[in-house]
Amino acid sequence: MILLEINNRLVEETLTLKIKNAQAGLKNESIDVTVADFDGVLYHISNVNGDKSKIRVSIALKFYKELQEHGADELLKREYGSFLTSPEDNFNVSLVLNLEDIPKNWPEVVKKFGLLKRNCFASVFEKYFDFQEKGDEGQKRAVINYRDDETLYVEAKSDRVTVVFSTRFRDENDVVIGKVFMQELKEGLRASHTAPPVLFSHREPPRELQNTNAVVDNNVGYVTFVLFPRHTARNTRDNTINLIHMFRHYLHYHIKCSKAYIHSRMRAKTSEFLKVLNRARPENKTTDKKTITGRTFIRRD
Amino acid sequence: MAGRLPACVIDVGTGYTKLGFANNKEPQFIIPSAIAIKETAKVGDQSSRRLCKGVEDLDFFIGDEAFDATGYAIKYPVRHGLVEDWDLMERFLEQCIFKYLRAEPEDHYFLLTEPPLNTPENREYTAEIMFESFNVPGLYIAVQAVLALAASWISRSINDRTLTGIVIDSGDGVTHVIPVAEGYVIGSCIKHIPIAGRNITYFIQSLLREREIGIPPEQSLETAKAIKERYSYICPDIAKEFAKYDSDPAKWMKTYDGINSVTKNPFRVDVGYERFLGPEIFFHPEFSNPDFTIPISQIVDDVIQNCPIDVRRPLYSNIVLSGGSTMFKDFGRRLQRDIKRTVDARLKLSEALAGGGLTPKPIDVQVISHHMQRYAVWFGGSMLASTPEFYTVCHTKAAYEEYGPSICRHSPVFSTMT
Amino acid sequence: MSATLKPYLSAVRHTLTAAMCLEDFSSQRVERHNKPEVEVRSNKELLLTPVVISRNDKERVLIESSINSVRISISVKQADEIEKILCKKFMRFMMMRAENFIVLRRKPVDGYDISFLITNFHTEQMYKHKLVDFVINFMEEIDKEISEMKLAVNARARIVSEEFLKRF
Repeated sequence: MILLEINNRLVEETLTLKIKNAQAGLKNESIDVTVADFDGVLYHISNVNGDKSKIRVSIALKFYKELQEHGADELLKREYGSFLTSPEDNFNVSLVLNLEDIPKNWPEVVKKFGLLKRNCFASVFEKYFDFQEKGDEGQKRAVINYRDDETLYVEAKSDRVTVVFSTRFRDENDVVIGKVFMQELKEGLRASHTAPPVLFSHREPPRELQNTNAVVDNNVGYVTFVLFPRHTARNTRDNTINLIHMFRHYLHYHIKCSKAYIHSRMRAKTSEFLKVLNRARPENKTTDKKTITGRTFIRRD
Repeated sequence: MAGRLPACVIDVGTGYTKLGFANNKEPQFIIPSAIAIKETAKVGDQSSRRLCKGVEDLDFFIGDEAFDATGYAIKYPVRHGLVEDWDLMERFLEQCIFKYLRAEPEDHYFLLTEPPLNTPENREYTAEIMFESFNVPGLYIAVQAVLALAASWISRSINDRTLTGIVIDSGDGVTHVIPVAEGYVIGSCIKHIPIAGRNITYFIQSLLREREIGIPPEQSLETAKAIKERYSYICPDIAKEFAKYDSDPAKWMKTYDGINSVTKNPFRVDVGYERFLGPEIFFHPEFSNPDFTIPISQIVDDVIQNCPIDVRRPLYSNIVLSGGSTMFKDFGRRLQRDIKRTVDARLKLSEALAGGGLTPKPIDVQVISHHMQRYAVWFGGSMLASTPEFYTVCHTKAAYEEYGPSICRHSPVFSTMT
Repeated sequence: MSATLKPYLSAVRHTLTAAMCLEDFSSQRVERHNKPEVEVRSNKELLLTPVVISRNDKERVLIESSINSVRISISVKQADEIEKILCKKFMRFMMMRAENFIVLRRKPVDGYDISFLITNFHTEQMYKHKLVDFVINFMEEIDKEISEMKLAVNARARIVSEEFLKRF
């Protein structure tokens, strides 16, 4: 698995199971599940007022208010339409699926439910992509604090949209590995001509953010994507959003995988060293024997 | 702890891995603890052979997807409850976290489980993976038996909640009988029984092999497993059960329908005595394993008799079942009856020896079954990880950096639980 | 580069072979105790002058010997940040598994990355020349492994970022 999935497998599987059960004519059982997703997102899957045939999927995002400023509500209305319901307490968006009235295209609907988080994110990107399309330069920069100490900035110019991620490495060693990764990202343009240019800076925010309150810290890295019209065009923008909203996790996931890889190398090497050391030891091994009936043969002497 | 993301609870067993978020009633995923990897034909020992130059090590599948992947070799990183291949284990966890749970491990506390008598080194290796590779903020490694005890509370009243009891944990690979006194495992008295789910499957497979010819050989294990899970139960007395089947086969014999995975032709298997003979190997292990002949009820009794005298009575009255292989119908009832018989016989004997001068107080034997039994360990973990106290007993990353992996040699017991 | 490696390793090999003349020696302080004198340093008479063999300012070996034990500390080449953390991780990883390594010391001597402690009991149970072989092999391999790991991390980073950018 190189790319992370953008849909929430848990939500999808839960709903699929429910729908299949309902279609098979089984009795609907009550459900009450709370699960998390990246970016501190919480999903709550439950029944509405104890009605077992109605499944409510609610999502809580800490930064939903910021997304709302950028038209998240409208986008969700467009995507989910009649499934939307008034949000549950402590949650930002709620969708309801009625098991007594399962839409024909339910696999698609389930898929859509699984993309709830992605669609929440999409609003801010879509808005700025539109600004770029219209050549509207005067808009102020969007700031989304998508994690407690990490921020996303989006800015539109007439010929490009700049997306800046600030990301924090919790571990000293991760900074070093992270730097290697970001360096390679910067040079990644060679691999693909359609890719957006990527810039990165460690510690200091890039020049665009110089006068903002962007954090300066040894454990912080800034990654800037410059998206050109070919990325923000109507037919490619969905793909762009899919990729870019997961970028932070993509980076951190691979840093972690690299560490796991290093671990497995170290394990291999360590056992090799051990073998060399054990050569210094004269030793003979005994093997256990079994009798024909399968009983272990032990010599008693 | 408002605003905190729920902890992740991962119980990696020999056969199945249960994973999910704390405070839920059931694990969100139950996947086979299998990992499918590409194997190269290079020479050399296993670990160095697996190393590669690029990102081939990300090319793998876990769980059910592992079985669907073609061109991959399926491996099980856990054997007999203990992790055997740490490389694969680390990668297994990688996907558990990022693909299944979709959790950024830096944001969640983790509760992992370990078998009783896990070596301290293994615990350190687990901590090493969790803290160094995944940067988890906090980790608690709980003993499965203790979690199973905690899970049995749901079937009892609040006052009866105790962390003293004997846990019979039978999964796919191995069965343990574990005495626990006030949250601490009495390590010296644990017994392992080399009879568990997989042995039952093999036993049923061998019975079927002798009789049924219609089963495609590559599906015989699968078929045996399905028969075990669907039709098997525990009978009170085998001789009577045989008679029952012989007198009225139509009532007791079942049929199993399968589909040949290659030719897609259906096949049909008669299911007879193996319905009760399979799980019977718990009580008559000599059927399947010539090295081991002591029935489970005897072992439980032995274990309790080995324990300190002051906990024996509480242990008898709280025998808790956990794990999929204890789900056979009437397993608890049969076990309770057999143990009770042994105990009563012993009491009678001592009464006779005392010449009637002394009547011992009868011992209360109670085997507890509950509906969370199959995922008892996970459920117990989920329950504990949702208490605020969980966050105070966890080992934190800061402590790990300060003192090193050795901190995990100690796991504090939840004190407010009792 | 490798021109200096050979004499360096052979110097270490010869010094080690010479230093590994160990004999059983009971503690002079505590009755019926037997301690590695190079660690406890209870009596100057029992210690030999330590030897440092340097290849350059970063790579060096310290060999301290005594009557019943010898301590070998190695400082590994670390050219840049990433090699530094890889080395740190690797040494920590090995020292956690010191139980199996018998001759590995759980903590390195100050100023070095990893230390081995070989006592007379080890030389009695194991072949001496093979122990020396092990140390030399370790020194050879560790540099190679660390630079290979670094390359591997770089290669991974490249593949991963290209993979991401390709999707746009």
